[in-house]
Amino acid sequence: MLKKISVLFFCAISVFAAESLVSNFTFAVAPGPSTGTLWVLSRGDAGSGVTLVTLALGESQVNVISMKSDFFDQKKTAVHDGVFSDVTGETRRTPFLYTEKLGFVVPMLGLDSVESFRQPEGFYSVKTSRILETPLDEPIVELDSAYSSPMAKSIGAFAYDTSTSVLWFSRGILGIESYDVSGSISDPKISNFVLDAKDGSLDTLNRNKKINASENPPIFGLSLHPETSMLWLATEKGLYHQTANRSFEKVEALKDSRVTGVWIGGTPIQIIAETSAREESVTKSKLWRSWNGSDFKEVVFRDTLGKIQKDVYDKADYSVSNVAFIRNKAFLAVQTIEGSISGLVKLDSIGAIPWNHTRQWLYDVEAGVLNKNTILTSVAAIPLTDDIMGLAVSSYGSGISVSADSGQTWSHILNQTAVKDNLGTIRMIPSVIVAGGESMVAYKVGQKSKIIIEVFSYDMRRVRTIVKDVVREENAVRSSKATEDFWDGLDDHGRPCAMGVYYVRVKDNHGHVGWGKVMTLGGNRK
Amino acid sequence: MKKIALLCSLLVAFGYADKKAMLGSFDGFVERMGASAHELGRGNTGSADTSAQPGAYWNPALLSFRTQLTYNLHAEQRSLDRTGGSIGVEGRVGKRMGVGFAMLYRGDHAFDVVNDDDETLGEASPYFSIMYLGFAYRLSRRDGLGISFSMSYDNLDISEYYDDISLVDGYQSPVSFNLGWVRQWNEKWSTSVVIRNLSFSKNLSAVWTRNPSTDNSVISTEGVRPKVLQIGVGYRNTLFGKPISAWMEALDYQIADTLLAFDPDRHVWTGRVGFEYEVIPNGSVSLGMNDLNFSFGLGYQFNIRIGKKRWPFDVSYALLYESEANLWNPLSFGVRGWIP
Repeated sequence: MLKKISVLFFCAISVFAAESLVSNFTFAVAPGPSTGTLWVLSRGDAGSGVTLVTLALGESQVNVISMKSDFFDQKKTAVHDGVFSDVTGETRRTPFLYTEKLGFVVPMLGLDSVESFRQPEGFYSVKTSRILETPLDEPIVELDSAYSSPMAKSIGAFAYDTSTSVLWFSRGILGIESYDVSGSISDPKISNFVLDAKDGSLDTLNRNKKINASENPPIFGLSLHPETSMLWLATEKGLYHQTANRSFEKVEALKDSRVTGVWIGGTPIQIIAETSAREESVTKSKLWRSWNGSDFKEVVFRDTLGKIQKDVYDKADYSVSNVAFIRNKAFLAVQTIEGSISGLVKLDSIGAIPWNHTRQWLYDVEAGVLNKNTILTSVAAIPLTDDIMGLAVSSYGSGISVSADSGQTWSHILNQTAVKDNLGTIRMIPSVIVAGGESMVAYKVGQKSKIIIEVFSYDMRRVRTIVKDVVREENAVRSSKATEDFWDGLDDHGRPCAMGVYYVRVKDNHGHVGWGKVMTLGGNRK
Repeated sequence: MKKIALLCSLLVAFGYADKKAMLGSFDGFVERMGASAHELGRGNTGSADTSAQPGAYWNPALLSFRTQLTYNLHAEQRSLDRTGGSIGVEGRVGKRMGVGFAMLYRGDHAFDVVNDDDETLGEASPYFSIMYLGFAYRLSRRDGLGISFSMSYDNLDISEYYDDISLVDGYQSPVSFNLGWVRQWNEKWSTSVVIRNLSFSKNLSAVWTRNPSTDNSVISTEGVRPKVLQIGVGYRNTLFGKPISAWMEALDYQIADTLLAFDPDRHVWTGRVGFEYEVIPNGSVSLGMNDLNFSFGLGYQFNIRIGKKRWPFDVSYALLYESEANLWNPLSFGVRGWIP
């Protein structure tokens, strides 16, 4: 992420409500407290927080009715610093859940000993728009040094049992934790358990217990079966599911696998599991599924001709951020390390649904899921009306996208500073880049226009033509096409421009001309 | 006149040469944009004019022709909030030597700092400057040689908006040097040769590495200032009894970190041409073209008597049209004077 100059410009006011997202850098979307609402988790330049977005279905798109935001404390966040760079799947996601009684829940992370946001401190919950902090004590136990890092004890997944009002979450080497609010939210009963791999029992985690990872495997993810309310556990030593006698059994197909996540939902029920392990400095990953109670099998990736392709998931180096289910389809938010490639993978009863694209199984900016080439960070199914189950995705820098037709068309919702009509304002976002970065040219035309965008040096020599005579439509907010209208700090021959201020001219075919400014910190010409 | 026609055709030929190298994306715009409204009005031509100021910038050899202490100031406001200016002081040392100092400045006084989240964090005023210290020696009544040492200092003025990375605003280049020669052949003709941006490093190249952050969170960048060969010619005469002069310069920018590059793709050739005519006593108009930028200038010389001494001044105005960007720049003013 160093190519983008990420900054934390902390706001002096920690709590406020505003008609905007906390940030366009969003990491989770979840259903809100009522139909047509959703929660958005952001971590951006102005800090971290959540936004409750109320939506309405328009004729051709989803419209925003209102937004209410609340910020986390400046020294805490819900998105850990390694969410894009960690090498195995279990920590390359931001867990979240909407629960009836607690509201929207996400992890709470503080600064660790090296001033990195990786220290688990509990979880946040938000029901209306005000955030509640729930600090959790770390059980005092004896751990092998291999599991001493804070992230080895971080929350990996949430699950909520509506019948018992118990929030479950996995905590890695510390097993799982139950947060029972059946009595009162203000007086929860908290219990910690570790899985006994030998007999499949959940043992209470007693003070000073010595945890042996081979006997009590770390639990990376969990999920509740929507029909049986039985827990499924993704562990370092296989995938376990709860049985009628409350003990746990291993899934045979994944008994030797390092399972980093499990997601259950859909009609008929699909159980999706991800395995991810480091083997000789290479991460080996696979995607598994049980369809309608069948045995677990590797997810099938077929190409547009119907031919089955092998090891697609592993070769692409994907990891799953989250899964949403709508009827018989599953929508997986996937990303590679450092997020260079990300998007949605759609599963039907056969497997991944291909489309006519270079990455046949990935639905990304080319499919209109995002409005610019950035990282898709999560997905959720959102009830938009009583009849329509929508789909929403979060993204790193491009707000959220919402679809009312199961991912066929998308509406993009993000904070956008107003620009004047007829090229009256040209806004470069961001206005400071390094070579290889992207500064979007934001502008607005009053009518359908042919556009030329050029970059000039300080002494007004043209160094780059970004687009020439491309058609842009009139738009209420902006006419820019984010996937094309940006400068990357390079000249027409692909060489990084020298450090300095550059001027961006946008011309239309109706005689309007606008100028914007951008600064590049340069790059290496070798 | 045949000579002028030949030089003009050479300049045109240079102008249409293959330009695969792009000058604008390389370091050195402060130097390329010149100094002094007087010279700007006639196309930024000054290297062959023994009266051009600041001499330390135009051609250090010009300093050898100074007879008294002189100073010059230049300020301009170009469109898109671009400010610029220069100052210079120079004088004679002994009978054959001259010394001079010049500083050129360019900046933008209204740069909006917008973050990735589409928030305007504030307004920065980045600026870029280059300083010259020149020395010259008069070889003969007609010839002078000079050397100037230059160093640039830039300030991006953005670090205050970035809290989690240690951005560095200020950059100071290593010292480079420029060599100059000027010859006043007779009352009419003068010529000059200036070689700019040599450095005390391998291949004599002015190449340096800058690290925009102290914590290495931003990739380092290379400053590559092209070597420049600048050849100038001046011609003075009278028209209707009034002085008229023509000035031409051919510039070769070598965009390569080698001692000499013979690949034409590694060179950018450009030219400057200017004319100046004294339409009224002490009042002149000028026209010029610097690459594709056109300029028009006005100048007037006068004296102010303070006590028993007369203080000569020369005020100038320039109008510049940057044709590639279609920008008019009507605000460029300069003054220079001689201390009696």
